[in-house]
Amino acid sequence: MERQHTSTQETGFEKKRGIGKIDVRTGYAQVLVSRLEGEIVQARLRLLEAIKDAQIGIDFLKLTPSGLSCLVAESDSEKISQALQGHPLRLQIHHDRSIVLVHAVNMRDEEGLIARIVQKVIESGAPIDHLGDMHDRVLLVVPGAHAEALVQVLETLKGNELAH
Amino acid sequence: MKFGGTSVATPEARMISALRVVSAREQGFHPVVVVSAIGRRGMPYATDTLMGMLREIDPNVEPEPREIDLLLACGEILSAVIFAHTLKTLGHTAQAFRGGQAGIRTDGVYGNARIVSIHPVSLLDSLQGGYIPVVCGFQGVFIAKSGAPGGELTTLGRGGSDTTGSALGAALSAEAVEIYTDVDGVKTADPDYVADAPTLRQVTYDEVAEIAHLGAKVVHPRAAEVAMQYGIPLWVKNTFSDDIGTEIVRRDKLPGRRLTGVTHTGKLVFMQFDLADARPEDRVALTTAIYDMMARYGVNLFMMNLNAESTGFAVPRGQYPLVKELLEGLVIPLGGETLTTYLFQVGAQPSREVESQAALLAPLGNVRRVVSELTEGCTMVSLVGHEYMQRPGVYFDVLSTLAEGQVAVLQTSDSEFSLSCLVPESDTHRAVKLLHDRFKLSEVR
Repeated sequence: MERQHTSTQETGFEKKRGIGKIDVRTGYAQVLVSRLEGEIVQARLRLLEAIKDAQIGIDFLKLTPSGLSCLVAESDSEKISQALQGHPLRLQIHHDRSIVLVHAVNMRDEEGLIARIVQKVIESGAPIDHLGDMHDRVLLVVPGAHAEALVQVLETLKGNELAH
Repeated sequence: MKFGGTSVATPEARMISALRVVSAREQGFHPVVVVSAIGRRGMPYATDTLMGMLREIDPNVEPEPREIDLLLACGEILSAVIFAHTLKTLGHTAQAFRGGQAGIRTDGVYGNARIVSIHPVSLLDSLQGGYIPVVCGFQGVFIAKSGAPGGELTTLGRGGSDTTGSALGAALSAEAVEIYTDVDGVKTADPDYVADAPTLRQVTYDEVAEIAHLGAKVVHPRAAEVAMQYGIPLWVKNTFSDDIGTEIVRRDKLPGRRLTGVTHTGKLVFMQFDLADARPEDRVALTTAIYDMMARYGVNLFMMNLNAESTGFAVPRGQYPLVKELLEGLVIPLGGETLTTYLFQVGAQPSREVESQAALLAPLGNVRRVVSELTEGCTMVSLVGHEYMQRPGVYFDVLSTLAEGQVAVLQTSDSEFSLSCLVPESDTHRAVKLLHDRFKLSEVR
């Protein structure tokens, strides 16, 4: 059971603050549904049930006053149009969307870091369809044509301690 | 072995914790102990009490972060010395160490320092001398320039003692890091809300980090991150029970689709800024100004949304007064020769401050309002899982369950590991229970 303690070397530990990495995922479509009729909560549920029945996975669901918006794989965009046929609504699909993932470890502990990343992104003028967050990254949905330019902007912020 | 606040709060708790250390030693291990501060809210050495001693001098003068760190570190020093002496009373020699004495070096960010290196030579000497080292959690030392005597004491911010435990485990090539608390491990829900919420036997770093990001307190993700990086087994255990606890593992050690649990944040205030009345060319500048202000004042944002005509987010209720102070009556002139002046209003009804600003600005002519719709008294309830959120129908299942239970959902957000709903705070308990039951989380092991 005894163990030799050998680690007397100085050791690097925690990851640096701020943006550490930027990735891009391509191949999405932005779905905007509006002008739903009837009681809005039930109308949205009927819509989501139709999407479920069609076996389509969705991300970035946002509730809007007269409907909802979400992101689907580009390969499902035709399928979602068919699934929603017959429902009284206005459907818009914006093709060629990308998700830009801005990695920053322990964002929640760096007070103001999430807001600073979003501020820099908006300031860049990139048209943002959606934004979200998880424990180690901010997620931005943008038209595919704008993804690379946005990445270039974010690259300049890497290594900066944005929250301080 | 890291012992949290509740495990060192009373002489009885400290004795139980110390006996766990003795037991580990009797099994042939060489335990190194990390302790949190001894005081809890209201007690003489609690953080609030210590800070109160500074504030009562003059509440209008903000204390220096450096001095705050020196003051707050006293809680852990006291705890380490008392714990070491408790071990001595049980017949085991022990030595207390400050973070700096244990070789923990940090960057120079007071109040939220990060560990940059550990040189644990004093701990190794202590172990070889037959002692049980007891290290103050939450603190380290920043060496501003080589040769500076002693260095500057820094504190590690939230979850600092957990991070101390993991980092020392990595530096010492420990068999395992054990985080002792007053619950059996990571549960599928807050047991105050779901009494029969089971304890998970294994959970990945990502799931634990996401749960913490969404506001629940388990093990701190910084601690888990260090343990994962160095391949040190990390456990969350209950000081006061013999439950085996929860092991935190890397994602590749626990593959597959599963649900982890239902979490809830604290109290939030949701703000939605209507920019429809702003000139399209001014919207980027206005939105940038809002987020810049939130960043500069360290406001923690939840559930953000953004589109061409509006943006919104939730803020912790504790930070809302600051946000309101920053934005209410804020004036932003834009447009150069074709000047448009924007006046911010928080809530549907203009305050006296906004009205007086409007009266002052009226002679300028083109004044437009940016009104923030306000939803007070809400919270975020989240379903957390691994490779689960991409499953078709999960949104329908969550929203229909809440609708059937008469819980209004004000907004939603999701990520790879979670799906969150903003709900009225008064419905938190019901929403957590409904989702826990609907997804059969009581059966999760």
